[in-house]
Amino acid sequence: MSNSARIGPLVGVLALAGLASLSLPAHAASTQDELEALKQTVRELQKRLEALDQAVDQKVKIVERKQELVNEDVSKKLKDAPTVTASNKGFSIRSSDKDFEFKLRGLAHVDYRAYDGDANEQTTGNVPVATDGFLARRLRPTFEGTLFGKYGFRFTPEFAESGDGGAAASGDRRNNRVRVVDAYFDVNANDAYKFRIGKHKPFVGLERLQSGSDIKFIERSYVSNNILPNRDIGVSVHGDVLDKKLSYAVGYFNGVADGGDNFTSVDDNTDKDFAWRLFSTPFTGSGGILEGLGFGVAGTWANDSNTNALPRYRTPGQNQFFAYRSTTTANGSRSRISPQAYYYNGPLGVLAEYAQVKQDVSSSTAGVGSAELKNDAWQIAVTWLLTGEDASFKGVKPLQPFKFGEPSGWGAWEVGLRYQENNLDRDAARFADPTATNRPGFALGVRTWGVGLSWYHNENSKFLVNYESTCLDDVTAGTGASAVLRGDKERFLSFRYQVAY
Amino acid sequence: MQRKTAKFKALVAILGLAAAALASPARAETTLLNVSYDPTRELYTEYNAAFAKYWKEKSGEVVTVKQSHGGAAKQARAVIDGLQADVVTLALSYDIDELHAKGKLIPADWQKRLPNNSSPYTSTIVLLVRKGNPKNIKDWGDLAKPGTAVITPNPKTSGGARYNYLAAWGWALQQPGGNDKTAQDLLTKIYKNVPVLDSGARGSTTTFIERGIGDVLITWENEALLAVKELGPDKFDIVVPSLSVLAEPPVTVVDKVTNRRGTRKLAEAYLNYLYSDEGQDIAGKHFYRPTNEKVAKKYEKQFPKVKLFTVDETFGGWQKAQKTHFADGGLFDRIYGIR
Repeated sequence: MSNSARIGPLVGVLALAGLASLSLPAHAASTQDELEALKQTVRELQKRLEALDQAVDQKVKIVERKQELVNEDVSKKLKDAPTVTASNKGFSIRSSDKDFEFKLRGLAHVDYRAYDGDANEQTTGNVPVATDGFLARRLRPTFEGTLFGKYGFRFTPEFAESGDGGAAASGDRRNNRVRVVDAYFDVNANDAYKFRIGKHKPFVGLERLQSGSDIKFIERSYVSNNILPNRDIGVSVHGDVLDKKLSYAVGYFNGVADGGDNFTSVDDNTDKDFAWRLFSTPFTGSGGILEGLGFGVAGTWANDSNTNALPRYRTPGQNQFFAYRSTTTANGSRSRISPQAYYYNGPLGVLAEYAQVKQDVSSSTAGVGSAELKNDAWQIAVTWLLTGEDASFKGVKPLQPFKFGEPSGWGAWEVGLRYQENNLDRDAARFADPTATNRPGFALGVRTWGVGLSWYHNENSKFLVNYESTCLDDVTAGTGASAVLRGDKERFLSFRYQVAY
Repeated sequence: MQRKTAKFKALVAILGLAAAALASPARAETTLLNVSYDPTRELYTEYNAAFAKYWKEKSGEVVTVKQSHGGAAKQARAVIDGLQADVVTLALSYDIDELHAKGKLIPADWQKRLPNNSSPYTSTIVLLVRKGNPKNIKDWGDLAKPGTAVITPNPKTSGGARYNYLAAWGWALQQPGGNDKTAQDLLTKIYKNVPVLDSGARGSTTTFIERGIGDVLITWENEALLAVKELGPDKFDIVVPSLSVLAEPPVTVVDKVTNRRGTRKLAEAYLNYLYSDEGQDIAGKHFYRPTNEKVAKKYEKQFPKVKLFTVDETFGGWQKAQKTHFADGGLFDRIYGIR
């Protein structure tokens, strides 16, 4: 084989290889370009995607922020909106700044009284006063409110029968007329300086100042019902000073008889009563054993000329045991003084008060003349909460409320013991009239002990039962004298169901 | 007769007590309410503590100052509607004028009662952008570019927002060929770029910083400096525009409230203390420009140099500016309504 023959195929292969090598770079360059272009496209797409992503992110954030602002606006409007409340404290509507409020509250007492035999029933004229039976003792809606934060009002009518032992109660019991219990306006400048005008409780009696829904026995004591004023029309300035450790009050009123209530808006004389009270709780905030101690003294003073503002004195069972004869009038000064105290420590509660009234009276009956009569009353009441709640001057909040018809706690149970007396001046006998027809006779002293049991279902509902036994002293039976006066003793059992909110 | 006289005297005594009870709301109280605009929270928190200390040392009396903050116009409205402000420290005089015009709570010449037209400190409006200024914003004109999201509050409720608006308008007037029409065009474009209108300056700060919305926040200089200080210079840059507005937030005692509450003397002392060296120092610390030259010198380095115009010289005063631009049916309504 010649060399040329051997080289021929090699040249051919080389030529092919050369050709191939010539065409390869052109193909590679085109791929590279395409790749670059693709990369560029990807980069641009990535950029656009990022921009889009960013735009979407911004849009979402904007929508969320707008929603947030709407929510803030709604929350603020809700915060500024008046609040309507219906709870165990009653019904109320209140402005968001709490400067304006209107409340509807209520108190209902339905009682049953059972006397120890018919012998203890009594009539005044033809009107039964103390008989076995049911009694709607208090049916009181209360409308109260706050205006501009510092001004307030309260209006409480009474839809129940009267005959609650007040001086003007005679004959009222069956009339069922609506009476005004409270109707007053307040200016509460600050804790130390408050001003009240209208019909209200004069700041005098300790138990009287306790709300009707918080009293521990079915009826208040002789101190409240037979000596000190109930409600009167006038003005009071009152407040708490010395870090709320001292309360003071002064007032100027039309004036009412002992234990009396001012039923009308018209005063029957130009003479007025001054009322005052100082009450201290020196250990408030101390945390010691004396923290719940409060004591003070209160009084009233008036100078009446020939008014009929003289009381009828009644037993807890509403039997009248002393009334002045019609020819007797209040004529001269009337001063009352009442030292008072309470003590609360854990389940124990003690309330004690004394009141004395010095009353100038005169009679137009020949030979009776005039006198200054000193009548007084006192009480001490001890209560104990069996279920462990803390006792207080205000209501009881059961630790485990009782619920009808479902598993629940027992509510709160409280037992109470009270002793009270009411003693009239010996000279008062001259001014009574035991001999006239249908005159009930009289006694010059009454002593009553009583026991009570209260069952608080919850803050708003409670059931009470009381047994009270009253002895009468220095009895003079009249021609129409009641059985209680003939028998010299009153025993009665009373039951109450209370709803208060 | 003697009895009647004694009774009459007693009645007079009771009436005296009752009258005193009624008059007693005028008894001095030791709380004050300062109703202020949105970004002054931190300033007055520190200032109130300093004043309480000062007042205790001076009078022995313990005083508590409460604060309320929000858009200046909203705050003024609240005071007119009964919010018991002893003092107001708002963003601009127009809103305080309203306390006289609509509430008769202060006299018409209230601004003459304290130095510097009752403005104890001043400020201005700047631009806060995200770090590195990605949208390359340098001046007011850049806010009108499409795709630039601008955050600013609602001028109807916020005093700061009104300054923002007027700063941009004033800049537009100063540009070659600038007039009211070019200014309105600029503002129209800027508000087209505003995605959210908060009711106050602090709300806009929240939108921009915390919610991460927008490219630029038009805001008080003190608010921008505070943001950079609080969040670090690695997150935001402050862009100082070539021209801005001099903001003069004024203060006043609310006469009717302080006279009724018996707090007038205390409220006056509270505002006077703002002009003291201590008060001015606290203002400077919180990035407000003190009016006291000595204190201003101490803080001058923290404030950028910026050419400023006043509302009085460019817009004829706040009353006119309000009527033209921000009243119902004014230019802002047209601008924002046609976005």
